[in-house]
Amino acid sequence: MIDIFSTPALVTIILGSVALLIPILDALNKERGSKNKVYSAIAFGALALALAVVISRIFTGENLPALSLTNNGVIADDIFGAFFSIAFLIVSIMVTVSSWSYMKKKSNHAAYYSLILLSSIGMILIGYSTDFVMLLVAWELMSIPTYALAAFSKRDPVSNEAAIKYFLFGALSSAIIILGMGIVYGLTGTTNIYDSVVGMTTLNPDLMPFALLAVALFIAGFGFKMGLVPFHMWLPDTYSGAPTTIATLLAAGTKKAGFAAAIRVIVIGLIALNVHWTITLAIIAIFTMTLGNLGALTQKSIPRILAYSSIAQAGYILIGLAVAPYTNYGLDASLLQILNHAVMKSAAFVAAAAVIITIGAYTIEKYRGLGYRMPITALVLAVALLSLAGVPPLNGFWGKYLIFGSAIDAGDQAWWAPYLAIAGVLNSALSLGYYIWIIRKMYMEEGENRIRQKEPRPIVAVLLFALGFMVLFGIWYGPLLDLASMAVPNDLTHLIAAR
Amino acid sequence: MVGAIGFEGLGVNAWLIWMLPFIGAAFIPILRNKNEKLKSYVAVGFSLLSAFLALSILPVGLSNGEIHSQIPWFSALNLDAGVLADPLAIIMSNLVAWISAAIFVYSISYMHKEKSLIRYWFFMLFFIGSMQLIVLSDNLLMVFFGWEGVGLASYALIGFWYQDRKKDYVGKEGHTVWGIPMWTSPTHAGIKAFLQNRAGDIMMLSGMFLIFMYSGTFGFRELLTDQTWAHAMMQQNLLVPAAVLIFGGAIGKSAQFPLNEWLLEAMTGPTSVSALIHAATMVKAGVFLVARIGPLFFALSVFNMQQFFEIVAWVGAITAMLLATQALVNPEIKKVLAYSTGSQIGYMMMALGIAGLTTNFIDGYTAGFFHLISHALFKASLFMAAGAILHTVHSRFMTDMGGLRKNMKRTYIFMLLASLSLAGAPLITSGFWSKDAIFASILDSNYEFSSYLFFIAVTVAVMTAFYTFRMVGLVFFGKPSQNIVNMENKGHRIREVNQLMWLPFAVLAVASVVIGLVGFAFEGQLHHVFATYLSSTFGITENGVIPLSEVQDTTGTVEGEGQHEATSGGSEMNPVAVAASVTAFGVGGFLGYLFYIRRSVDPAKINENVVSKGLWRFLYNRWYLNSILYWMGVVIPLGFYRRVNKYFEHLLMYGINPSVQHSMVFMSKVAKMAQSGDVQIYLYVFSAGIIVITMLLLS
Repeated sequence: MIDIFSTPALVTIILGSVALLIPILDALNKERGSKNKVYSAIAFGALALALAVVISRIFTGENLPALSLTNNGVIADDIFGAFFSIAFLIVSIMVTVSSWSYMKKKSNHAAYYSLILLSSIGMILIGYSTDFVMLLVAWELMSIPTYALAAFSKRDPVSNEAAIKYFLFGALSSAIIILGMGIVYGLTGTTNIYDSVVGMTTLNPDLMPFALLAVALFIAGFGFKMGLVPFHMWLPDTYSGAPTTIATLLAAGTKKAGFAAAIRVIVIGLIALNVHWTITLAIIAIFTMTLGNLGALTQKSIPRILAYSSIAQAGYILIGLAVAPYTNYGLDASLLQILNHAVMKSAAFVAAAAVIITIGAYTIEKYRGLGYRMPITALVLAVALLSLAGVPPLNGFWGKYLIFGSAIDAGDQAWWAPYLAIAGVLNSALSLGYYIWIIRKMYMEEGENRIRQKEPRPIVAVLLFALGFMVLFGIWYGPLLDLASMAVPNDLTHLIAAR
Repeated sequence: MVGAIGFEGLGVNAWLIWMLPFIGAAFIPILRNKNEKLKSYVAVGFSLLSAFLALSILPVGLSNGEIHSQIPWFSALNLDAGVLADPLAIIMSNLVAWISAAIFVYSISYMHKEKSLIRYWFFMLFFIGSMQLIVLSDNLLMVFFGWEGVGLASYALIGFWYQDRKKDYVGKEGHTVWGIPMWTSPTHAGIKAFLQNRAGDIMMLSGMFLIFMYSGTFGFRELLTDQTWAHAMMQQNLLVPAAVLIFGGAIGKSAQFPLNEWLLEAMTGPTSVSALIHAATMVKAGVFLVARIGPLFFALSVFNMQQFFEIVAWVGAITAMLLATQALVNPEIKKVLAYSTGSQIGYMMMALGIAGLTTNFIDGYTAGFFHLISHALFKASLFMAAGAILHTVHSRFMTDMGGLRKNMKRTYIFMLLASLSLAGAPLITSGFWSKDAIFASILDSNYEFSSYLFFIAVTVAVMTAFYTFRMVGLVFFGKPSQNIVNMENKGHRIREVNQLMWLPFAVLAVASVVIGLVGFAFEGQLHHVFATYLSSTFGITENGVIPLSEVQDTTGTVEGEGQHEATSGGSEMNPVAVAASVTAFGVGGFLGYLFYIRRSVDPAKINENVVSKGLWRFLYNRWYLNSILYWMGVVIPLGFYRRVNKYFEHLLMYGINPSVQHSMVFMSKVAKMAQSGDVQIYLYVFSAGIIVITMLLLS
């Protein structure tokens, strides 16, 4: 039975009721199509309230488990879920507020905001799920609204192509996830993650190949959302074709939901399986980083560069997952970087959105002289790119630093782990090639004109928030790391022993 | 110890003292479209606010309390950020805050009608914020952040007039030594200061991290409580080198030999900046650092830290001598003051060094810090007064002044007061007492070479009195120079500067005399404060070091001892020291008076014989040190680098580099090849991926 006052339930109720309320308001509204601001404000209010609920729950809720492994119910109120909820809600808020400007000249606002809210519910519930069925439902709740959102510019063929590709792969990956869950159910007779973990430990060795197949299917299914190589191919097309605010939601939000599910199911759930799934993740991580960075290196469109860069970032985060069983803070580091990346990538995409709606520029050539034409946007974009590259003292540095550090630390028990750190550092160097290139274009080169553009206020607010986040938590990252380490169990090896 | 105060109450003030100037600096650019007055008043407001906060914690310091509050910072390295306001830091912080507040008030008028006021105020606030960070932080790492902030701000302010107009240069045009020009533009001077400081900073950084490698902490208190790191370093013979490396930072920042050259060129900045650099924020940082780590190393005296203190004392002595001699012959008023600063800082270093070479650490320590206080007061005052004169006569050469005492009566009086303090006029000036204390501590030490140090100290005191009187005489006495006559002919009236300008330096000059009048008692009080502080925190007493554990056990008795000592230490007076300082003042002052005030002997006459002419040239060319440094540090390395560039780097740039670039682009193209946009291919890769992963897992 779900406690109605537990965080996930409260958040679902808040966001769900508002998501349903907005279309009703729209239907009652006589003069259609001019309520963008109102809906944006309502959605913002709901998301902010939900964020407040989640954060206050962390501060007031005593004895919240880090990451609950329980067979009591399908949803657990734990800090792991709360951590991801904070990331998702921050992203959703940034998307909603910047949509205030971005969606001004478009139509169907009620549906737009309602879908964002519904997708947010899905993401949040993934973070809290303790049951495969619940996870699947949440997964679909997150995905289906985004299919529609990706196609939101319905007269724009690029947007449609983006959505179709996204939908095709989304459907495929859902099917694969269900297949994986089916196998696990067949092997253990339960859909609860904890029970299935217990069942796996006593598995008949003859059935092991099936369990491994399930792992492969989970990696593929969740890897689609995370943008792991080789399941990443839809991603550049979709991120650059979808409306930029939606690309923000996809890159910063749903991608992280993939990680939440992967940690719940693969890292925690299958840690009992004494197989080398970690080295598989490591290989994928190296390919993902490298291909992402190489792909980004010669792109010409900024959203596309950002899309590739988010593939590379998924690779870095995956390092933490791969070494999680061998070190104490691999998962902490990954979680920290997930939250950091959510904000950095949102900031970069929102800045790109600002450029698109003010000067209509997509390509890097058009970014020349942006430092003068749109000073705040250019500044925050530059800081976000540096942070993505991992330049100290910005927040992105600490995430990477801890991830690579954990990989080196894990070297005692896994010979391959230090190579991950080396690959990561080399890739960071490579990634500077395109990050600095953009900054150089913005500041060092003369633009086609020197007209100072009016930067949309809501977007400026979002950007300044992100700037503050990146700089503040770059200098003083302690609280975030503390929260991240509260969210994952201290010692995963200990966890296995307990079973 | 009265007990440490944490985050509550006054603890927040200690944080705000250094944060407020930074907040102010961040706030100033917002006023870019506002009028000049508002900008200046806001900046002054921030500095005053910080000063009052410093004042609010002064009682804590005087009662030997301590504010130590920490917050977690880099939890991965187990580092905390924190402020540590103990008596040393609190007194220093007040000194910095109030002197810079006075200089800020002065700046309102001095920088009137200056175009880039935003930049000026931003860096001024940044400057004092960084300095307060150095003073108040509880670990070397944060000190280093402040250290770098000070370096950056000084660079920006020394080169403030980056247009490099001829009138902002220092040095005589056309004066070259060994092919090195001795006249410098503001931008050049800024870079020079920055680079020389950098040399010191690198030493400091390596020293810091050496200690960190062994101790795992940067915290001053943590280093004190657990001394196992010192054992470990001693075994590797690394303890003294690490300490000396940290002292290298102080050498750079305090412009000690051999990194002293930047200080003279730093005169290209606005005079208010010079005042700030010399009195409050920059060169004092080095002395403060030594005062910060000195007791720590002295408390480790079981490990034989003698060499460290010896180096400190001798570096100070050499610098004091070197720069005092050069001040004798320089024609520029600001440069004379700059030389004198370096020389006086040398005194402080000497005192702090000699403190570590005796069993009675407290005397030398107090003497050094007392001199720091009195020097800060009179030097800030002198610089601001010099700025007022520059402002009026539009020239930096003393030969372009002369006879100003009638037209600028107030400036004359207060500059004379401050000058007397610098020269060490007996009994009524703070400079006399602090110098006397240094002499006494050198005499009392049982260091084997202390007589040489004493000799140097007295000689420098003679020279100090001489060049001070020379400066006063050239500026205020004699006939008005050609420059002033010309100006008056053109209709410029030479007159007193306005209130906002003379009040700040008047206040400081008077303060230095007031401290001088009660100098004896003041010294006793300071001695008492430091005696209790050093004994309760470091276990340093009159008779050497006692283990810290005993200090904590018997806090009450130790404090009683301290009080006892304060009375005894204050009433002792070394007749030799007093006689020496009075004589030094008498001799130097009399000669200066004869040559430059009464003008009964023409100094040019002395210069006619070969020996004194050679000596004059040697001093005027700065002992050739500047030229040597340029040849060694700039000209020869650049020549070498050109070769490297030609034969090696060129190859890298145009041979190897492009191939890296092209191979990356090629790989990128390959990576993109699959990204054709065809969903069929995407699906194919996806499925292949599942199969590969399954095989990986099964293998």
